[in-house]
Amino acid sequence: VSAAAPARQTARFVEHVMGMPISLALRGRHADDDAAAAAWAAVMGTLREVDRVFSTYRPDSFVSRMGRGEIDLADCPPEVADVLTLGDAAERASGGAFSVRLPGPDGRTVLDPSGVVKGWAVERAAAALRELPDTDYCLSAGGDLTCRTLDPGGRPWHIGVEDPADPRRFLAVVPVLTGAVATSGTAHRGQHLVDARSGRPPSGVASVTVVARSLTWADIDATAAYAMGAEAARWLETRPGRSGLVVWDDGTTTTVEPVV
Amino acid sequence: VANGTITDVSVVEYPNGNGRDQEINARALPVLIQETLKAQSADIDMVSGATVTSDGYLESLQSALDKAGL
Repeated sequence: VSAAAPARQTARFVEHVMGMPISLALRGRHADDDAAAAAWAAVMGTLREVDRVFSTYRPDSFVSRMGRGEIDLADCPPEVADVLTLGDAAERASGGAFSVRLPGPDGRTVLDPSGVVKGWAVERAAAALRELPDTDYCLSAGGDLTCRTLDPGGRPWHIGVEDPADPRRFLAVVPVLTGAVATSGTAHRGQHLVDARSGRPPSGVASVTVVARSLTWADIDATAAYAMGAEAARWLETRPGRSGLVVWDDGTTTTVEPVV
Repeated sequence: VANGTITDVSVVEYPNGNGRDQEINARALPVLIQETLKAQSADIDMVSGATVTSDGYLESLQSALDKAGL
């Protein structure tokens, strides 16, 4: 970062959906004009539609109705099948620690694709931002985010990783030009942070942050690694193209470097 | 870090020009911070964390960044 670099003009937008704040930062040609406003409206429109289809908090969502056995997959919008396919791929990749079919309190299996939906939805919503010419973005949904920097020599987005022991502090900074960062931990609303093999919460790990090209997989891998508890860092090291940070219960950390 | 301000964030640099720039750019490594930082003083654009919900938003570091409008 050069000292002679001009002051950054970053525009910011915030709205809430799915119980999460959605924060957008834009810089460049369309940071703060009508095109930016239209793209932001499109982002929020996509997220609200995803919520209507997938929310497990809404009794009338397609996923809730399918979970109660009232409708079949064939009755749902095609995106539901896409998300369940992703969930199955994540289950295989994680040896079953991650699953969209979780053991319920009464022993029956509960369909909950929330662990896939968030990252997938934000990646999908960011399509409206990718259409903005000469404009960089960083779009976050409740702490999981995707960003773009068009100039390969430009300033990366500086992503602060929250300290799981004290959310008023940053533990690390990730400089990301183009890519995604997701963090899973104990306080994640709407996400059942259990090891799907046992139905029990993992032990030993406080949070897992994953950097990947797509937010869909950064989010899935952060959740899967967290669910593995003590195996989190070792598993993440096997994942192609991922890097990250595992924070353990005792406050120590392991930085995971990408597989070359 | 000096007086609570990040004065130098080391940015991991990777070789360019091999046709996989975007993919490699996504492989940024987290750089640990050794001291307590406040959002207002840190050169940070966005927060990744597990506790950012609508309920806790107003108290969150992300909220401070959004309000600062930097």
